[in-house]
Amino acid sequence: MIGSLWALIWNGYREARRNRVTVVVAAFALVLLFSTQLAMEVTVMTFDRVNTDVGLGSMSLMLVFLAIFLSSALVPREIERRTIFMVVSKPISRGLYLVGRLGGNMLTLAILTVVMSLVFAAELVLLRSPVTQPIIAAIIALYFELLVLSCLGFFFSSFSGQTVAAVVVSGLFFAGHLSGDIYRHASRSDVQLVQWVGKAIYYALPNLDRLDLKVQAAYASPVAWSDLGASIVYALAYSIALMIGTVVIFERRDFR
Amino acid sequence: MSKTYRLGFFLNKNVLALQGLELVIEPGQIFGLLGPNGAGKSTTIKILMNLVRPSSGTVRIFGTEAAKREARSQVGFLPENPMPYEYLSGEEFVRLAGKLLGLSGQALDTRVKEVIGAVEMSNAAKLQVRRYSKGMVQRIALAQALINKPRLLILDEPTSGLDPLGRRLMRDIILEQRSQGTTVLFCTHIISDAETLCDRLAVLVAGKKVQEGKVSELLSSQVPVLEVAVEGLSKEQLSSVGVNHELKQEISERLWVRVTDQDLQAFIGATQRLQGRVTRIQPIRFTLEDLFMNALQQAETKVGGTFS
Repeated sequence: MIGSLWALIWNGYREARRNRVTVVVAAFALVLLFSTQLAMEVTVMTFDRVNTDVGLGSMSLMLVFLAIFLSSALVPREIERRTIFMVVSKPISRGLYLVGRLGGNMLTLAILTVVMSLVFAAELVLLRSPVTQPIIAAIIALYFELLVLSCLGFFFSSFSGQTVAAVVVSGLFFAGHLSGDIYRHASRSDVQLVQWVGKAIYYALPNLDRLDLKVQAAYASPVAWSDLGASIVYALAYSIALMIGTVVIFERRDFR
Repeated sequence: MSKTYRLGFFLNKNVLALQGLELVIEPGQIFGLLGPNGAGKSTTIKILMNLVRPSSGTVRIFGTEAAKREARSQVGFLPENPMPYEYLSGEEFVRLAGKLLGLSGQALDTRVKEVIGAVEMSNAAKLQVRRYSKGMVQRIALAQALINKPRLLILDEPTSGLDPLGRRLMRDIILEQRSQGTTVLFCTHIISDAETLCDRLAVLVAGKKVQEGKVSELLSSQVPVLEVAVEGLSKEQLSSVGVNHELKQEISERLWVRVTDQDLQAFIGATQRLQGRVTRIQPIRFTLEDLFMNALQQAETKVGGTFS
């Protein structure tokens, strides 16, 4: 089973690499180059802060975009092209297939995150800006945000088309960053029902805000490893719950 | 087993793809599923490969429920119009199939070379699948189906889209697999393939089995038919002979008529009474195509499943 799982994971990474997904690293390097030039022109005292914010922001934007569209398109495309027939008909469970495909996605994103982080770190060193603990924590948190988004993509694409899944997950990305606000505003209401609905939405939506540490990184405000650990555990639990749901739906699906 | 697809936004349209199909395939034989488009052939195969779940009934492969992974470990499967991952080379794709079947190391390497050689793709094995022609894709897909030395080989329309050389190779491989003791189940709407290859076949029409048996038995069980040339009679006169017959064609005042062996003497007598002459009688060889067309007529349908 481990051999089959690794074969699927490696195949997923190979697919992304051969479809030239790695071009995103080059795009990131270009963005960094131009943004640094701009930051040097317009800032005097806050150069490190702007540089960190732009670097992490552009890394986050590109990787989130990639995570949403890779995960939302993967399974529907396999079904549409019927490549799935020759994989699912092998003696592997559909759950293993999904976990393998998710693993391939996450391996691709991990490699991209590491390479982009190294490019970003090289830029910081060249510009004599510090590579701080919050920057490292923000990058680790970003990776787990990508995991949650990928699982959302797999979940919605297990019963809908790739466009619908991508649009819904994009919406959930924004909603997930606002779920704390929804909770706070609902708590202030005098109406009990509004409070309940607000809480229900808060617990149902992924709380992506707790995985967003860009502000702490920009202001070099240290992040407690225990807090980061708790956020990672939350992201893992949410992702596992989503994948269980995905497998249950996918097991019942007919491939006509 | 039966399968009903539920379609439409509210899932309120039913397509009865299979209706009470019962099949037993003995080990070591080549079993053909023959039928027009929409007959349920591919649905049957997809149920066997756990790609589609039956609405009712059970399916077993060598005694194990088809939905279980152990059942599929003994099966090689070539889907209709196979689509391997186009970013992989042919060899990489076959290797991936081997790994998913639990092969590894030296055994996998050796087997990959063997099956790629068997489908005559050694020269193109390192090319990406996206550069393959349709016939090459079919060959590499067959190679992945053979990688685990399957006890049961399931082929969905294996010769469709192949050139004569490719069809010949596919037939040779199927026959070779049988000689090695592999059971082969394949579905096709190409009648000559079924006639050439099958030990036994079932004809499906609109999700129902309408014929099943050994090819030779099915053909010999048909009523012998004779083709008779009649001269000196018009079509209208012929229609009043009072004996069962089927007018096939009219060529330069000669009417070609089909009658059964049983009705022949009565037909000749009636023709002579109307001042006509029977100038030629020849037996008709009953083919699988005739059997197929008869089955379609009996089922009063040509294509598609049953909708409700």
